[in-house]
Amino acid sequence: MDPSIIGQMAVSGALMGLVYALIAYGFQLTYATSKSINFGQGELVMVSAFFSLTLTNLGLPYWLMVPGGLLFGALMGLVVERAGVRLALEQKGEGWILLTIIIGLFFFSAAENIWGRDDRPFPTPISADPIHVLGVDVTRLELSVAVGVFAIMGLVELFKRRTLLGKAFEAVSADRDAAELMGISATRTVMLSYGLSGSVAALAGILVSPITTVGPTMASALILKAFAVAVVAGLDSGFGVVLIGMFLGALESLASFYLGSGWREAPGLVLLILALALRPTGVFGKATIRKV
Amino acid sequence: MLAAIKPLQPIGAKEDTMFRQTVHGFLLLAALGLQAGDTVKLAITGPFTGGSAPMGASTRDGAKLAIAEINAAGGIQVGARKMKIEIIERDDEAKNERGALIAQELASMGELAGVIGTVNTGVCMAGDKHLQEKGITKIICPAAGSASMTQWSKAGVKDLSIFRFAAHDGIQAAMVVEEAINRGFTKVAVVFDSTNYGVSGRDDMLDQIKKQGNKLTVVAQEKFNIGDKDMTAQLLRAKSTGAQAILIWGIGPELAAVSNGMAKIGMKVPLIGGWTLSMSNFIDNAGKNGNGTLMPQTFIEEPITPRAKSFIEGYHQAFKVGRIPSPVAAAQGYDAVYIFAAAVKQAGSTDTHKIKEALEDLKEPVKGVIATWNRPFTKWDPANVETHEAFRREQTVMGMVQDGRVVFGNPADKARLIKAAAGTAPAKPAAAKPAAKAKTK
Repeated sequence: MDPSIIGQMAVSGALMGLVYALIAYGFQLTYATSKSINFGQGELVMVSAFFSLTLTNLGLPYWLMVPGGLLFGALMGLVVERAGVRLALEQKGEGWILLTIIIGLFFFSAAENIWGRDDRPFPTPISADPIHVLGVDVTRLELSVAVGVFAIMGLVELFKRRTLLGKAFEAVSADRDAAELMGISATRTVMLSYGLSGSVAALAGILVSPITTVGPTMASALILKAFAVAVVAGLDSGFGVVLIGMFLGALESLASFYLGSGWREAPGLVLLILALALRPTGVFGKATIRKV
Repeated sequence: MLAAIKPLQPIGAKEDTMFRQTVHGFLLLAALGLQAGDTVKLAITGPFTGGSAPMGASTRDGAKLAIAEINAAGGIQVGARKMKIEIIERDDEAKNERGALIAQELASMGELAGVIGTVNTGVCMAGDKHLQEKGITKIICPAAGSASMTQWSKAGVKDLSIFRFAAHDGIQAAMVVEEAINRGFTKVAVVFDSTNYGVSGRDDMLDQIKKQGNKLTVVAQEKFNIGDKDMTAQLLRAKSTGAQAILIWGIGPELAAVSNGMAKIGMKVPLIGGWTLSMSNFIDNAGKNGNGTLMPQTFIEEPITPRAKSFIEGYHQAFKVGRIPSPVAAAQGYDAVYIFAAAVKQAGSTDTHKIKEALEDLKEPVKGVIATWNRPFTKWDPANVETHEAFRREQTVMGMVQDGRVVFGNPADKARLIKAAAGTAPAKPAAAKPAAKAKTK
């Protein structure tokens, strides 16, 4: 076993894993406030990436395109919340599961009709040339993924801790009814969380597209991994998804190197099953007692 | 413009360039509004969406260009009257099961004169049996996987209605291996996708390495799946074995992922493989990492002969592009239609069985954009698939990706084609020499 190869596989895997982590973080944001998850999050990643590609093709520079894409993601997140989640939550039902899947399918068809079924390159000013760090080759593009993921997660966490709106967010996450009694609008906070979640999805799309190309099916593999990361890490630890995401990514690429590329997904699934069996609330999840 | 239209000449005769250009202006309009009954019904199939779309759509558009030219000239002389070609278009989405459904639909269609198309070897394997059962003439274009023809010789079919108009993988694999040997390599990695196309390409390459004297050692065999974006594992394994070149068989998007992955891990060896390395979705997605990639081609988008010039300009004008998505597929689609039309004319009928017989013994040479085709097919012999294969080594050249385009990899090939078009030299392959100035990556 060549240590430089292990290092190379682990690093490039872990950097990809950060994308899983970012998408998983999007699940956490909505789960915290509303105990609901957008099962169409992958499609949100994909339509936002396509939208950002369109902005780029219209001639917008990268630094303008990114906020444009994030805004679009937030809007789409709000659409999902309004159309798929709010009613179900008001009725205290589980209708949001099916509704978010359906909205995802709708996004998918819309993307196929608007942008076509082909995979397209996503231009970026960030260079894809490799740089050599400690015996490992990484591209600036991959590093930009890490920078972007940590930046947005840091910003969201700061926002939650330092602003009044953020504190409302935390309050609703902790106890929705008590927060409402204190005069915080839970509905608005859920909207906020879906908007944030949409932006996070859009950023994931913008970061990963230059590496994987943009196409209607671009997120179908990503989303499954993100689910695994969210479940293994637990649905309330931002720190956990980053660690588990990087771990899963590294594990995948090491597996595909040592076991063969056909076995790439296997260790992740084993991990998922183990986590569900041993720690159903996630490795970093808090076991909470529900008072009735 | 109308003054440029000269008295109509039979198909295959030398046509005026000006005339062709005028015709291109009326393209598609001419193909519309035809009445049933007095037309030659020709089905064009292929993937017009998805990862194989550059090949499928280019084949279709190249064929449409030829059909528009023929129709604008009044149609095909069938017996005493002239008949226009009517297009029946079907998108198989590169899916085997859709291909099979479409083949069944076409096989049950009355009055169908023939089929041109299919990009994916798997689709041929799934669908062609339905056409063969009914004896419907099909020209496979441009699916190159060996299996789509060898399946018939293996089955020992006596009478075959399936022809192929593409440089089959046997020829291509031979060229790829030859190129690697000529460049003085001894250790190569064989990388391929897990589809019928990729696996049969790998078999062809391994076969050719044996045939050409075992001068190459295969140090790694790596597989990837359609849709894979991250090839780091496969490439690192190839790199760690000291492979001096990667011989590859796959389609556009995944090939680009391989090329980009090589750049990422700093693997600076040439990528040599099947003609699919000229697909626009490889060239665009690989960007500058694709430079220097080598692949066999039947047509290079360079206006080196008058016919090539008129074809390229016609295509650009008619389909509003500055670059043909897959020049090989477009040129083959174009020539396939002219060959088919010549067969209809010779048969003097739109009966698909008679057309098949005519195809097996074309009397008049057909002037195409790739070459002048002298009796491209002969009577089917299950012991020799080449009887229904139009391409030989000499119609194939080595192409190289250079800044977003495919150019001649070997200047001697270019000179040979120019000479052949001028009619002074026989079309013989240039002395095998490593492609010039290909950047070693």
